[in-house]
Amino acid sequence: MKVKPVNHAKAAEAFIEDTAHMDFHDERLWDLRQKRDQQMHILPEWQELRTRASAIKEHTLANLPEYLEQFEANAKKNGIHVHWAADGAEHNRIVGEILEKHGAKSLIKSKSMVTEECCMREYLEPRGVVVTETDLGERIQQLDNQMPSHIVVPAVHKLIPDVAKIFAEHYHTDPNDSSAQSLAWQQRLAARPVILSADAGMTGGNFVVAETGSFVVCTNEGNADLSATVPGLHIATIGIERLVPRMADMGVFIRLLSRSALGSPITQYTTHFRGPQKGSEMHVVLVDNGRSHRLGMEDFWTSLKCIRCGACMNTCPVYRRSGGLSYGAVYSGPIGAIIDPTFNERKYSTLPFASTMNGSCTNVCPVKINIHEQLYKWRRVLAEHHELPFVKREVMHMAGKLMGQPTLYRAAINSTEVALSTMPRFVLYNWLNPWGKHRELPHPVKQTFHSWYKQNRLKNKKKEGESA
Amino acid sequence: MSTSRDAILTRLRDNRPDPKAHPLPPVARLGDMDNGQARFENSLQILGGQVLERQEGDTLATAIARRFPDSKVICSAVPDFAGTIRIEELGTPQQAASVDVLVVRSPFGIAEMGSIYLSEVQLHDLNSAAHLTQHIVVILSAKNLTANMHTAYMDRPEFHTANYGVLMSGPSATADIQGVLIRGAQGVRTLSVWWED
Amino acid sequence: MKIGLFIPCYIDAFYPNAGIATLELLEKLGQDVEYPMNQTCCGQPMANSGCNKDAAAAEALFVKNFARYDAIVMPSGSCTHHVRDNFDAIDQTDDVRHVRENTFELVEFLHDVLKVQDFPWAEFPHKVGLHNSCGTLRALRTASMSELGEPFFSKPMDLLGKVKGISFATPKRPDECCGFGGTFSVTEEAVSAKMGTDKVMDHHNAGAEYIVSADTSCMMHQQGCAERAGVPIRFIHIAEILNGARE
Repeated sequence: MKVKPVNHAKAAEAFIEDTAHMDFHDERLWDLRQKRDQQMHILPEWQELRTRASAIKEHTLANLPEYLEQFEANAKKNGIHVHWAADGAEHNRIVGEILEKHGAKSLIKSKSMVTEECCMREYLEPRGVVVTETDLGERIQQLDNQMPSHIVVPAVHKLIPDVAKIFAEHYHTDPNDSSAQSLAWQQRLAARPVILSADAGMTGGNFVVAETGSFVVCTNEGNADLSATVPGLHIATIGIERLVPRMADMGVFIRLLSRSALGSPITQYTTHFRGPQKGSEMHVVLVDNGRSHRLGMEDFWTSLKCIRCGACMNTCPVYRRSGGLSYGAVYSGPIGAIIDPTFNERKYSTLPFASTMNGSCTNVCPVKINIHEQLYKWRRVLAEHHELPFVKREVMHMAGKLMGQPTLYRAAINSTEVALSTMPRFVLYNWLNPWGKHRELPHPVKQTFHSWYKQNRLKNKKKEGESA
Repeated sequence: MSTSRDAILTRLRDNRPDPKAHPLPPVARLGDMDNGQARFENSLQILGGQVLERQEGDTLATAIARRFPDSKVICSAVPDFAGTIRIEELGTPQQAASVDVLVVRSPFGIAEMGSIYLSEVQLHDLNSAAHLTQHIVVILSAKNLTANMHTAYMDRPEFHTANYGVLMSGPSATADIQGVLIRGAQGVRTLSVWWED
Repeated sequence: MKIGLFIPCYIDAFYPNAGIATLELLEKLGQDVEYPMNQTCCGQPMANSGCNKDAAAAEALFVKNFARYDAIVMPSGSCTHHVRDNFDAIDQTDDVRHVRENTFELVEFLHDVLKVQDFPWAEFPHKVGLHNSCGTLRALRTASMSELGEPFFSKPMDLLGKVKGISFATPKRPDECCGFGGTFSVTEEAVSAKMGTDKVMDHHNAGAEYIVSADTSCMMHQQGCAERAGVPIRFIHIAEILNGARE
């Protein structure tokens, strides 16, 4: 069965029509970008940190099998159970089996994009495991049955009344509560008993340190620490690209991560897990799910450097005005647009085109991923793989032919009729029509530059030639 | 079980870029090397933490009583402060959830971030206590401040020895509801540092 | 030095005055300029859409038209970016390499090659908002980029600063893309128009009477947005101001 490409443009149009939400979304994320800039200005070594982070990540990816083996050996020594999952299905099966062995029926978890990739909740819930997100934004999204719209601030597209409504429905609180403070307090009250009675806890992992066999989790709410330390069973789901060689490398990444993400110097909690707590069990599931394949893509492997800070989303003028959900994928925004097609080329074929390729994303990326250049390259790949809409392909094909023939081209510019006989009316009109929906067309002019030049320069030159 | 492991590693070996083209850079020791108390306090304040006020004649107990007048359960994880209960007496996270104020000593702080470090050593193997308590008071010596994240990771042995090690930088926080910054989300509602020198 | 002048299709068809100003300005500065009559397009629209093969004919023709010049100058940042950085649908012959290495956007050419110190004929007694296209800003690097925290510089502002009577408005988001993006303006019409309108409002709220830019494509889009939204702001190409336009 052929999947349909995500209609980003249509979803974005709907997002823009809701002015209150869109304006807040744009301003909020722009504010994060501004705060990120302030942090950058404080640190004279900012660009050096980016260069180092990029080099460490590229080195690690080029030596990933060795570092994974090193991590595994050290983690095992520390008493961690290490599992390997080729894809989402295997990951879910592994987690399901661990939970089953422990008779665990309730799982509390902190934010993990990998579990979103694997659709883990959808797998575990029919098997009788109640999964509760403990990050506030992620919990709001879970209750609202939506994917996270942003990898760092999952509910950034919602306003206070939206949250009040969702909490009223699920927590029986005041549907007209207009205080973020009080809503956050309701979440704390609702979450505590669930946390205290949970059978198992799950976290992601921002970084994995090969040298020590540890992994590092960064949160602001402390929910990952609660999820990991309250139940006697901690499962961490981590993408295989998250490695760094040495503990001392963490300085570079921690200094960049939260500054890039939220413009705060560090996340409130930076937690280093090196082994199980006394009397507890710890599992790490290393997930591939397409990453080893992506490593072999010459133009795209560096997207694996990503540390999931979301800075590219915050700065992206398209993302800010279309909302994360419009990308129809686990990863949205600029980084999503270059990662998602590796999961499904047809479904996400539209995303590399949901960009003006302005390049701001590349400039803010703390690990120097050339995001906008990869967007450009993806467009080529998708065109070569025939994943462009028919009309666009035809328009470009005809335009390309026309541009190679100056006489025809000149005739087309000078005469609409010739243009229409060259490009069939339905193609040209249907395709270019949207221009005028929210914009005026350029004004017609009396004379093109070409004919002005002919009249004002070539004639003179001819005259000069005659008189000489 | 091991088939996926081997398949993943093989695929990585087949697909990776040339390792020789990507050497490992030396460890970075960059940035401001000021490890002073003033820098720490400034960073702590930015992240929403505070210094526990010390008035004339104060002991830690009187300072806590003034700062947290309504607190009933004050749990001590240090030998030189009594509290109303000792952390060793809390057997489970469920019991730790009743604590109003936890008093604990941090082996080091990071001036750049205003972060304090805690591991299972300081928390007597009840790591959840640091997050289930309503408030946390952290005893810290200015002598144990390190300048920044680079010096912390390079110089502090704890990152290589502790099974659980958390850098707390101010209290739990969130801005997930319409961007409103809220201190005290899921974990501690306040974090105070008590200078012991 | 013999200069070949490239006038992009939308300037030729919709904004000939920008092209005329570019030519006249170069002539005033004593340059020997020719406009090859058989020119069409640099190939960018096709290449940016992923259809790189469809750009081959335009690129080949471009080289045929311009290989004989010492320098190729164009009043367009995005076209320059395409020729310099992405012009690879055709074999990279000596001629192609020559063309790619010697193609300049007008501002860079005036600022870096001719090093023009003075535009004695120019006077523009208006408050202008400078729009740097993403091509000039982040690809050609004619101005400092806010994301990198680098020391401030702006080649277009350096040039405009030599114009009598001109003053500058300071928009809140000077680096933000205006949303033209080539075919993006059509395929992502809603986002594109919203970005354009926001851009225009930012300049308007900063007190700009004019938006001035080295890229007409961005201005064509912004003008369309401004007119639809009823924002009273005018548009002018940087070449026109430097050539002495008064309004």
